Amino acid sequence: MNMNEIMERLNEVFRDVFDDKRLVVDEYTTADDIEDWDSLEHINLIAAVEQEFKMKFKMKEVSGMKNVGEMAEIVRERAKR
Amino acid sequence: MVFSSLFFLYLFLPLCMLSYAATKTIKSRNTVLIIFSLIFYAWGEPLYVLILILSAVVNYILALLIERYRDGTGAKAALVFSLVFNIGMLGIFKYSGFIAENINAVFSADIEPPDIRLPIGISFYTFQIISYIVDCYWEKVHAQKSFPKFLMYVSLFPQLVAGPIVRYSTIESEINMRRTTIDDLSSGITRLIFGLSKKVIIANNLSTIVDSFFGSEIKGLSVMGTWYAVILYAMQIYFDFSGYSDMAIGLGRIFGFHFDENFNYPFICRDVSEFWQRWHISLGTFFRDYLLYLPLFGKRRKYANLFLVWFCTGLWHGASWNYVLWGLYFGLFIFIEQLVGKKRMKKIPIAVKHVYNKLVIIIGFGIFYFENMKELGNFFKNLIGLNGNKFIDSFVTISLENNLYLIIAAVLFCFPVAKAVGQLVQKSRRFCYVTGTAQVAVNICLLLCSSLLLVDATNNPFLYFRF
Repeated sequence: MNMNEIMERLNEVFRDVFDDKRLVVDEYTTADDIEDWDSLEHINLIAAVEQEFKMKFKMKEVSGMKNVGEMAEIVRERAKR
Repeated sequence: MVFSSLFFLYLFLPLCMLSYAATKTIKSRNTVLIIFSLIFYAWGEPLYVLILILSAVVNYILALLIERYRDGTGAKAALVFSLVFNIGMLGIFKYSGFIAENINAVFSADIEPPDIRLPIGISFYTFQIISYIVDCYWEKVHAQKSFPKFLMYVSLFPQLVAGPIVRYSTIESEINMRRTTIDDLSSGITRLIFGLSKKVIIANNLSTIVDSFFGSEIKGLSVMGTWYAVILYAMQIYFDFSGYSDMAIGLGRIFGFHFDENFNYPFICRDVSEFWQRWHISLGTFFRDYLLYLPLFGKRRKYANLFLVWFCTGLWHGASWNYVLWGLYFGLFIFIEQLVGKKRMKKIPIAVKHVYNKLVIIIGFGIFYFENMKELGNFFKNLIGLNGNKFIDSFVTISLENNLYLIIAAVLFCFPVAKAVGQLVQKSRRFCYVTGTAQVAVNICLLLCSSLLLVDATNNPFLYFRF
């Protein structure tokens, strides 16, 4: 799976989780850029990404993720579909 | 030893600063800090200082093992052992009496609660150690190879007894190499004096008033008297705790360390969730990073983990059910705010939000104060006049009249008034040459006032002996 495809599907997940059809994320997007992305919503986001890509994040990754790019990188390594 | 004492301010600290300044290499500077930190701790805890050192030795070795056996199961085993050891130490020294009492109550057993006094600061330094060990396991930091350097991180007296919980990653480079600039020294001393004044001038005096209301049977208090005292109590804890954090951050800077902020004007928050992003920040981020994302509860983990975090936050503050209740109480309001959602929260008029969150926060401090459940019940009844108490009486009006200036100052300094004035003055070029002089004059005045109050201190409580 290439990075563009991952980013596209991630964008859909973000739109779904944050309930905002116009939301556009890129690799540099962080929690500061999306108002609703707080530490608790992060849990729902992670669960949604895990479901979309049929993979699991490690706790260290969940707690240490700095931006969407890092998330996409982990997905690329581990995604099953 | 506590910061707000003449012995610390006029003997211990100057001696420590002189010895520190007299040394040249980082190794000898670290040695000075270790010696003074151990004396600082041993002053009040001559025996328990050994537990502090034992914790440092055990975790120093375990971190090295984690790094050495990273690829095998050895790292995981060392991590688990460390967590069991650290949480076990907290369990024995902080919670064994509480656990025994509860077992007795539930099973009608007759276990003698062990007579163990809580080592001061154990909750703070244990959490620092846990964060270090987990960060090593997660490869966020390298294990410290030098035991003295690690011991210094664990025992560093500025943050040892009342926080903040300083992450190893925050000061890792400064442990190995640091220097105190003139700017560090000057802002460090200013911050220390500022924190000292918050504690001695405001918090201690508020504490005297609160004690006169809540100190004995509270059933007879009027409705307004109960509200008045609990509002002052909320401010007392803010000035006491944030004052200690200011002193810690200031002392850190004097020795070239830059700790993260622990308070950010919590009372200006617009909702309860925001309050906790501004109050005791180092504890909130600790639980966020090391507990909130624990994959324990499957699909429902968002809310299950939320309540787990708040249960632990409550319990961390003291081994008593009122603290657990207090934690879950805040968890409940944050849960409700999550259900309402940020977008809908935004539509609520700002005045309504302020009334709502201040009510929740202030009543929360009542739960924090009353360990005795019967007294807590009376407190709630008092708030709405269910004890047949008067609405207002002269006890409140006289106290308010006598302490008006103190209370006005306290309310003002809860909000970033001083900060705003400072920024305004700094912007104006005409004033800029006087600000430096004014700062020194203010510092001297505050130090003098605080010292005079300490000479005659009848009420200078140390509130963190439970943490």
